[in-house]
Amino acid sequence: MPERRLIWDMPTRVFHWSLALSFLGAYLSGESERWALVHLTCGYTFLGLIIFRLIWGVAGTRYARFTEFVPSPSSVLKYLAGLVKRRPTHYIGHNPLGALGILAILLLGLICAVSGWLINAEVGPFWLEPVHLISADILVGLVLAHIAGVLITSYLHRENLIKAMLDGKKQAEAAQAIPQKRPLIAFLLLICMVAFWLWSFSATLFSSTVETSVVISDEKTK
Amino acid sequence: MKYLTACLLFGIFVAQPVSAEHLGDFLSYFASQAKTENPNFAGFSPNRGEQFFKSPHAAEWSCSSCHTDNPKVTGKHIVTQKSIDPLAPSANAERFTNPAKVDKWFKRNCKDVVGRECTSMEKGDVLSYLQAVGS
Repeated sequence: MPERRLIWDMPTRVFHWSLALSFLGAYLSGESERWALVHLTCGYTFLGLIIFRLIWGVAGTRYARFTEFVPSPSSVLKYLAGLVKRRPTHYIGHNPLGALGILAILLLGLICAVSGWLINAEVGPFWLEPVHLISADILVGLVLAHIAGVLITSYLHRENLIKAMLDGKKQAEAAQAIPQKRPLIAFLLLICMVAFWLWSFSATLFSSTVETSVVISDEKTK
Repeated sequence: MKYLTACLLFGIFVAQPVSAEHLGDFLSYFASQAKTENPNFAGFSPNRGEQFFKSPHAAEWSCSSCHTDNPKVTGKHIVTQKSIDPLAPSANAERFTNPAKVDKWFKRNCKDVVGRECTSMEKGDVLSYLQAVGS
């Protein structure tokens, strides 16, 4: 057994889990105006993350690049055939079917986030509304398929893919590993998200402080 | 459920792409609905509508939490502070011209303010109030 070596760089992993959380948050907060600020903040975070991933798909490390994982139709079919026989070809990076799912998530995510943005800005036609809702529901389906795929291939290849997306390591030969972790880019991505969240909620945070101080001064005058 | 709503909205849009409606069309639609919901229905009341619009409901908010007590002025979203164009057609000619929008916002806002869907009577009362503030 070859030892576990770095395959997923840090920005890719930070992106992955942030995208999952921001989608979950946006999906759960969409029904009520009470959660409007959470919905908008999650949605714009989600959009920003997708834009980052498109850039990272060109500028990132080996397995994060589109040139590495955008599959040909024949490779997808071959992989599917292997999967049916319970003996799919093992890939170090994304397998062709998983890669197809990821591309679909990025595309649908872009459609969902941009339509939501336009709806909120009240520009564009009203049919953006069903586009937003239906793309969100298709995304849920894609996410569930993604999770199922991760569990199935983890089982078939006897490797823990969830752990791999946390520490970035998979069993691989030395020549297959990536040389750089890129922690600085990951850190900058995190800083951008935290700054955006603080900015987005600052109005609410500020107004609640004002209300508290009013209450305090009221008590003093009594 | 969401998917159904989306299809419904899409259906409404495709079915009526060009016919711009006005407030009166919605009033007569809600009146016919109200009759089926309550056989004793005796017409809408702007006063009842105003009461409904301005008083807090089960979920603590009122319509005026965001739309203010005056439907002819620009409102402000109570959570996001986003400005909301006036509701009264006399101040904003775009209001109540698109069935899909009317459907969407009554559904969404009634859930947030009243904690349930509004009855046709409540919707009609509010519409008759919004019509009355214009004259």
